[in-house]
Amino acid sequence: MELQHIHPEPTSFLRKHLFSTDHKVIAKQFLWAGLLFLAFGGGLAMLIRWQWAFPGEPVPVVGSMLFQQSGGAITPAHYNTIFTMHGLIMIFFAITPIMIGAFGNFCIPLMIGARDMAFPLLNMLSFWTFLVSQGLIIASFFVQLGSAAAGWTTYAPLSTNVGTPGAGQTLVVAAVFVTGVATIMGGINYVTTVVRLRAPGMTYMRMPATVWGLWLTAILNVLFVPVLGSAALLLLLDRSFGTQFYIAGSSAVRGGGDPILFQHLFWIFGHPEVYILILPPWGFVTDLVSFFARKPAYWYKGSVMAMTGVTVLSAVVYGHHMFVTGMNPLLGQSFMTLTLIISVPAELLFLNWLHTIWKGSIRLTAPMLFALGTVFVFGLGGLTGLFLGTISTDLYLHDTMFVVGHFHLTMAAAAFLASFAAIYFWFPKMFGRNMNQTLAKWHFWFSVIFITLVFCGQLVAGYGGHQRRLYDPYQYTFLQHMQPLNRWTSYFGFILAASQVTFVVNWFQSIFAGSKAEQNPWEIGTLEWTVPSPPVHHNFDVIPTVHRGPHEYANPEVKKALGRDWIGQSEELPKSGKAPAEPAAAAS
Amino acid sequence: MDSTARLIKQVTALLAAALAMTASGIAGAVPKPESGMGLPRDVSEHGHHIDWLIEVTMVFVVILFVIMVIWMVWACFAHDEKHAAEYDHGDSKHSVKTALALSAVIFFVVDGNLFYNSTTDTFRLFWNHDALETDAKAVRIEVNAHQWAWDARYAGPDGKFNTKDDVITLNDIRVPVGAPVLLQLVSPDVIHSFYLPNLRVKQDAMPGMTNRLWFQAKETGDFDIGCAQHCGVHHYKMKGMLTVLPPDEFKNWLNEQSAIATRGYDPKDTEAHWGWEWRARN
Repeated sequence: MELQHIHPEPTSFLRKHLFSTDHKVIAKQFLWAGLLFLAFGGGLAMLIRWQWAFPGEPVPVVGSMLFQQSGGAITPAHYNTIFTMHGLIMIFFAITPIMIGAFGNFCIPLMIGARDMAFPLLNMLSFWTFLVSQGLIIASFFVQLGSAAAGWTTYAPLSTNVGTPGAGQTLVVAAVFVTGVATIMGGINYVTTVVRLRAPGMTYMRMPATVWGLWLTAILNVLFVPVLGSAALLLLLDRSFGTQFYIAGSSAVRGGGDPILFQHLFWIFGHPEVYILILPPWGFVTDLVSFFARKPAYWYKGSVMAMTGVTVLSAVVYGHHMFVTGMNPLLGQSFMTLTLIISVPAELLFLNWLHTIWKGSIRLTAPMLFALGTVFVFGLGGLTGLFLGTISTDLYLHDTMFVVGHFHLTMAAAAFLASFAAIYFWFPKMFGRNMNQTLAKWHFWFSVIFITLVFCGQLVAGYGGHQRRLYDPYQYTFLQHMQPLNRWTSYFGFILAASQVTFVVNWFQSIFAGSKAEQNPWEIGTLEWTVPSPPVHHNFDVIPTVHRGPHEYANPEVKKALGRDWIGQSEELPKSGKAPAEPAAAAS
Repeated sequence: MDSTARLIKQVTALLAAALAMTASGIAGAVPKPESGMGLPRDVSEHGHHIDWLIEVTMVFVVILFVIMVIWMVWACFAHDEKHAAEYDHGDSKHSVKTALALSAVIFFVVDGNLFYNSTTDTFRLFWNHDALETDAKAVRIEVNAHQWAWDARYAGPDGKFNTKDDVITLNDIRVPVGAPVLLQLVSPDVIHSFYLPNLRVKQDAMPGMTNRLWFQAKETGDFDIGCAQHCGVHHYKMKGMLTVLPPDEFKNWLNEQSAIATRGYDPKDTEAHWGWEWRARN
């Protein structure tokens, strides 16, 4: 296509590795940044778990360093900062960069047969803007009064100076605004790339489900992150310039504003955000279960329609986060109805995944295990959502640990496992080296078992009425019997964290000393496997022409003609007597 | 085991109730601890609607989840790489119909049940505050939630709020058993959430708004009042006590307290006049 020229690869170190406009390099940058913050956010989670298991007792090893003035123990003020920053870091600075920044960047151009993103310079700026926001987050820990402490939801007026004075909260709100800018830049790029740069023959219904997931996510980002940006901007004005958009009650002068406004703005973004984080995993899973069951994705079109349906509905269900705010009952009723309807496309997706693996020829590779693990934890998370989308049951369960368990299973556990499915699957293509499959499988079993136990422990606590965000839950008589449960949940959490060593070791070993990866180690038909591992700077010497969908496995005709159970999307099925054409052969 | 557990629960509840009757008014009374992994003890007239819906849905959810897990495990063993995969895109009319029919069945049974019961329960009971406004039996309390305590105000014998016979308490809300209690909730600072785990109700106290919540206790005793919304450093300590008293005991307490309040009334103490004329909304 004349749209895409081949640009020479930059030669200077700076332009090649640091200020690169190559989507593959930017993907790696996002991956590193995201993984580092994943470890950071995970560390904060361990502090929270320590506090719930042993409230007020000195934290072993790191306590004396982090909490000097309290003799190594977490204070209530520290605790608020820790759970606030755990949430914000995981959502905006760990999962988002890994899932969308890294795999969005890496997969979209390669899987649709493009030489790069539509706007490579914007892509680079997106990463560096994101890095600025991560810098603001780190800086916020070093100012007086510490970092943000109003909860990841940053509800006003607690998040205004009325509840949380200090530069830390301001820096964090600014960081959210800046990372929003980075996300919008990326989103515009992804949307445009998919619309404009698909290879000839790559119709929408031939795109891998991964690209569908990432594309729908990008659309949601472009539509709804600006709402988050406006919420953050108004909050910054309230904090630093004396406006009162969100302040009411006795702290307000001259009438004041409305705290509910913040919640509306936040959840108009916040509920799509849940799907922003889960649509890419749904895409990965839809592809991976087909790839490794060696069987076409069951009713692929149905899965695509279901994902699109969820994307549309995600915009109109947010009110279920606000059932106990004093919402008009009719409005609440509408949000409940829409929320329950969203379970239909989700059920369809599950049925399609289950049908895909049924009568397959399942290869339990590390990526496949992680994909099945994602289905498992998302099943639990999705089903527990039923109790929270319904008004009367939510009146009891709202703001309890049940909510925490639910959204961790959907957003955290599913996104976590799906991220590693993606890492283990595309690592050979990304870095040109293989990862250790045995270590990867150990990583899987430890992760899936203990992540499930941790979040089910939270579900059980919430079922008993345990509120979230309590520094010392045992102040309440009705929660005193939950200390053993919380302690066990913490032990599971510690094992989960410790077991991530299996990944860290594998990661560094594979990057520096892994065996060289073949071009197509998994025998997969999508376009990224038709180029060398790692791909050349411009991805495709010749832009491929696509002939079929991404899930052509176990096709008897292909078996007869080529003697294998898969065929590439751009591969021509040889007519009788003609040798198979390899359009991608030139790339080797 | 279930029946003995229930018996023990009932007996201890009775004991606790008896204890509460004799000990009510004595400072330092504490709620009875909960035990086990289930829902906390329900002492409300209407909480069983919520419990039933939670429990029934839990059964559905567990069934669906178990089917899913068995299916996945079975597939991994029965259709491993030694078996040839079936070539099926799953887009035949029959496949599509099956998938849609299955989703529809799950939706109409599980979600339908939730929808129907939640709708009737919220409109008839939990959010039907208007019916309470005209109920002469209803006990009215104004609650001022602030960092980090619950102030409560009873109108006193004159039936009017913010007058000198008002009874004002701190983290101590007393109500009669068997009568509906209607609360108006406000907050002067940040958002709090009034939460009675044993009565299955929760409502945010929102700066700039007056929110309502009602409940009716069916057992006497002491119960935790919790804050469910993160409200700052001492959020975890923002707890109060709900004491459910026999009706005449409640009346005596209220009259006694009102007399004391009237004697100690200081018109210049504006801090204490945070109450408002009862706001009948809608």
